[in-house]
Amino acid sequence: MSLVSGPGRGGGSDSALPQELQLFVDKHVRYIQSLDKRKDELEYWLTEHLRLNGLYWGLTALHLLGHPDALPRNEVVDFVLSCLHDSGGFGAAPGHDAHMLYTVSAVQILATLDAFGDLEARVEGGRRKIAQFIADLQNPDTGTFAGDEWAEYDTRFLYGALNALSLLGHMDLVDVDKAVEHVQACANFDGGYGTGPGAESHAGQIFTCIGALSIAGRLDLVDRDKLGGWLSERQLKNGGLNGRPEKKEDVCYSWWVASSLAMIDRLHWIDQGKLTAFILSTQDPELGGLADRPGDMVDVFHTHFGIAGLSLLKFPGLAEIDPI
Amino acid sequence: MTSYASDPAWADIEPLPQDDGGPHPLAAIAYKDEYSEAMSYLRAVMAKNEMSERVLGLTERIIGMNPAHYTVWLYRSRVLAALSYDLRTELAWLNPTALKHLKNYQIWHHRQTIVDALDSADGEQAFIAGMMEQDAKNYHVWSYRQWLVKRFALWDAGELEIVEAMLQHDVRNNSAWNHRYFLVFGRDDGVVVEQKTIDREIEYAKETIRKAPQNQAPWNYVRGVLRYAKLSPASLKEFAAGFAPVERPEDIKSSHALDLLAEIYAQEQGKSEEAVRVLDLLAEKYDPIRANYWNFRKSQLGSASAAA
Repeated sequence: MSLVSGPGRGGGSDSALPQELQLFVDKHVRYIQSLDKRKDELEYWLTEHLRLNGLYWGLTALHLLGHPDALPRNEVVDFVLSCLHDSGGFGAAPGHDAHMLYTVSAVQILATLDAFGDLEARVEGGRRKIAQFIADLQNPDTGTFAGDEWAEYDTRFLYGALNALSLLGHMDLVDVDKAVEHVQACANFDGGYGTGPGAESHAGQIFTCIGALSIAGRLDLVDRDKLGGWLSERQLKNGGLNGRPEKKEDVCYSWWVASSLAMIDRLHWIDQGKLTAFILSTQDPELGGLADRPGDMVDVFHTHFGIAGLSLLKFPGLAEIDPI
Repeated sequence: MTSYASDPAWADIEPLPQDDGGPHPLAAIAYKDEYSEAMSYLRAVMAKNEMSERVLGLTERIIGMNPAHYTVWLYRSRVLAALSYDLRTELAWLNPTALKHLKNYQIWHHRQTIVDALDSADGEQAFIAGMMEQDAKNYHVWSYRQWLVKRFALWDAGELEIVEAMLQHDVRNNSAWNHRYFLVFGRDDGVVVEQKTIDREIEYAKETIRKAPQNQAPWNYVRGVLRYAKLSPASLKEFAAGFAPVERPEDIKSSHALDLLAEIYAQEQGKSEEAVRVLDLLAEKYDPIRANYWNFRKSQLGSASAAA
């Protein structure tokens, strides 16, 4: 799935109906379908290192929009499996090194398409092999996870690992208690969480930390009111959410902030109507797709997170999403 | 630039075109010429596991076009190690590359690996300062800075002064506030935080708030310091009230002061009426977008958990 931005721009509408009431479902479906027909553009190839993530974002958005079959299932499965290495890890595209981020996307796509059977039919013991690749990236001393053999650590990888392992049914391969301890060590003085101990609170990292604790069944460790206070403070007057204090709003935080709030039962602390209107204002009503904020170029990343945010806000006509 | 196909230094390499994965690929071939050619040579040298100076040149060219391609960085790291390449030269190349691609994070991991191997932080603080002139809130740069401080024990090596200068320039820089907390309260070298340090930090936050009362960061900071020192927020009651005179709502200068005041009243015996009044001001006038949150705080008043 290409991450090429554009061609559309969020914000405009010529429709007779007020735009704040509309989600342009068909336009977004066609936009996502069109992404892989842009191979004559350099940007398509410059974003190859995100292909598998892009495919996951596009596919999930289509499922939420009620068009799960808009991408050809077997071709998607073929492509995903062509990124699998002997190690059990996935690269972003064929010929790219294996990395946690793509492995998680691959597992999520296979789970979405109910394709673990396809995996086993082609790679004997495939599930177990992938799970082992992920498990081997856990640091036995600190409990956190690396992205690959090069030992970059980040709570994103920890969350991704637990997410994929739970989908694969192999949580038993890792030390969940140690991972939980590490997440605890990332809690900051302001109630938020960062990429590692001491790192600045960031809404995206909070999602990964709360998601990890949620999968581990340890949300009891979270100071919900304090964290909820910080998260709800991310809403700006225009309804949009930012990721850190004094930063601009961005549609992708509609997902990271709102899903974190949902996981700790505090989603009602923000103005959901205003957030919905903000997300809808980032659509391109003609060519489809959502942008980070009105006036910018659309792309599949923001399209996915915007639609996922709307789904969490129970926007009519969308499939319901699990915040984790 | 000339193409690799016409360069005699590359005549021995048969470029490997894109393997697009499967008979009906979602991703087929249509690279733009220059990038496509460079990638086909990279695939070819990777297939032979070639470790050479010319491969470094090739990876430089590809990184120049697409710095986010992490496989290229990884291969470059392997080549550097295999050639025992001079890491200072590598850093010298990396500096302008990092400045050109501010949002890229592969560069920072690469830099960390090299500086770790060099076992010296020489020049790094100055380099970071240059980066932060371009983007003072870049998460990768701040993460790298924290790693550097820990790795080389730079706790007292001018970091606090740098943060202070940055906050003087922009008191709303939350990243700088976070780094300050990390420097003062996150030390892992056994130095104990003394009372005078705690007093200094509280005073610093108050001074900054006086300059810009409606600024989340120092309010969060000072509350973090109080919690660290196990001090009651009531010690800030008069200070907070100065920015939030409830009797004269038109003179209220900070919703964060109101927030703190509400917390103080909630913990004080017989002050729940005052707490309600402050929370109503927040819900109705000063932060209505979070009305549900403030109403929740109201519902907690008088309950056993309110003091938590």
